Amino acid sequence: MSQALIQTGTRLLNALGKHSDLIMQVYINGTVDEQKHSPKVLEQLVQLGVLWRPESQSELRLKSAVRTLLEGSLQDERNRTINANIGASLASLKTLAEHYKEALHYNKYNESAAHMSDLTEHVYQLSESLSNSVRVLFGRITNEFGYVSSVDAKIRENELAQGQVTDLLSQLECFRFDELSEIAGSNRELRHLLVVSLQQRFSKAAQELSVVQARLIDLLGRFREFQGRTRLLKGYLLHMEQHPDFAPGNYTNLTQVPVLFNQSNSVISAAAPDVNNVEHENDYQEIVSSLTHIHQRATKQDDAEAQQDIDVTAQSTVSLEKDELQLAIEDFFCEVIDSGQPKTALTYYEEKALGFDQEVWMYQVIGGYQALADQEKQFFALDPHGENDKTFTGNFYINDITLGLR
Amino acid sequence: MMTEQGRVLSALLQGTFICQVTDEEAWRFLKNREKAQQLEPHLAMLNRTLSSTAEGDVFFASYLTIGETERKMLTQQFQDTASNLVPLVEWLLLVQQANESDMPVTMGNAIRLNELQTTIEDTPAYAEQLEKISRYRMFGSTSVNLDGQLKQVFKRLTEMGYLTRPNPEKQIYLATGKVEHLYEMLRFIDETEALSLSEQADAAITQGSLL
Repeated sequence: MSQALIQTGTRLLNALGKHSDLIMQVYINGTVDEQKHSPKVLEQLVQLGVLWRPESQSELRLKSAVRTLLEGSLQDERNRTINANIGASLASLKTLAEHYKEALHYNKYNESAAHMSDLTEHVYQLSESLSNSVRVLFGRITNEFGYVSSVDAKIRENELAQGQVTDLLSQLECFRFDELSEIAGSNRELRHLLVVSLQQRFSKAAQELSVVQARLIDLLGRFREFQGRTRLLKGYLLHMEQHPDFAPGNYTNLTQVPVLFNQSNSVISAAAPDVNNVEHENDYQEIVSSLTHIHQRATKQDDAEAQQDIDVTAQSTVSLEKDELQLAIEDFFCEVIDSGQPKTALTYYEEKALGFDQEVWMYQVIGGYQALADQEKQFFALDPHGENDKTFTGNFYINDITLGLR
Repeated sequence: MMTEQGRVLSALLQGTFICQVTDEEAWRFLKNREKAQQLEPHLAMLNRTLSSTAEGDVFFASYLTIGETERKMLTQQFQDTASNLVPLVEWLLLVQQANESDMPVTMGNAIRLNELQTTIEDTPAYAEQLEKISRYRMFGSTSVNLDGQLKQVFKRLTEMGYLTRPNPEKQIYLATGKVEHLYEMLRFIDETEALSLSEQADAAITQGSLL
């Protein structure tokens, strides 16, 4: 018998391990996508009691036992069910204790040992479910019902949790330790299980539940405050939309200005240094030295900037306004081109009765010719008239220049 | 060296709001009734007294007696506050809605600028709302892109003391006690002017009006 049981159990666990991916997907999504998995595997899982089909039309779902196992082990916060059925567990405990006592009375030790292990299992199960329920409640409190987003939903969750706490507390009242101790009688093992162990668990659970209840009420208050604040903000905007010219009365003109609007202005500003204080001499010196440093650097920068400014303006005037002399040269060149006849610089100078110095004029004509681009230079010919120096060879005095077209 | 008392005193005289978020040490100092009492004579000398709002969690200095100059000062201050109410309320609601948790901004709340920016960028309605908020005179943003608008709004709010940035290298802002003060002021206006704002909001929600 037990061998068969072990085999079936191992088969179940193996199946769970083998199809863990599938099971976790079902756990998260709620249902199985039957297209994606082979019907054989699904059939096997259904037979093992891992999956089930609630109605013939509906999709396959996870059995609640498996779901509870996962929720308990993963400490999943979505777990909202709390097993509050303590009364039934207590009744079964009492029955088992009676079986055990009867078996002992008739000296059936084998049977009594089996009943004892059963009873132990039940007691521990009860205490585990109690502590589990409290843990679940605490888990939901610590993250402030983080799994729902809106404040309203949080308030509903909070109300659910409060209801569960009340249920648990009323179930805890089912514990009658006088009855239990009567049942246990003088049997040491029974007394340990039914009275000592359960009582410890009971007092701990009761204590924790009262903390949970206080925290829940606290949280509910906070959520209500949040709700109130949101309403206040939205209401104000709404009011401003409907009455755009609304302005609150000037409360500062009241004889008793409300504390909220009585906020003094700043009176402290930086203190001035006392140069006669010898103690501060060193500090001042340091401050001043750092100041001059900054000062010097700053002026240098200023100079550079100022110079740059001047450069820019000077450049622009040069390029924009041409010198009169330069304009006259241009006119001279143009006339030579227009007439097509060579002309000396001085003739042109006299014709136009120019006001420049003669020598400057001549230099500028040469300069104007040299300033032309090579291509343009080819059109003109420049022929200087003059004589060599009487004493020093290689020095040539230019009296006049003829400008002509090539 | 300044004593703790002197430091707290000068902070108060600078007109700052002291709460657990902005200056925990000073806040603890003021929470101690005896130590706070020691400050009173110094404040009284300058016609000031220690006041608190938000159920005693935020401290600031207020005038002891109100004469002509003080009244003028307060009127000026009140007018600023009154004109800033709408932009601030709109901003608070925007942050609350863009925050997934739907929690109103309260003292100590962390606002992660990057997360907020992502949500606002993904939702055109929020982006429009932000643009509207940033154009108010109190924020005075002229930026055309969302990033600049958001940064300007947060910069101004930090300057005005509604937010604090504990780590200058991170874009995480904490709401300060001044936000609580803002709620208190709204509540006061609501009660004094008998606006019944909550009822208005409730009625609008039940009527299905979209806010």
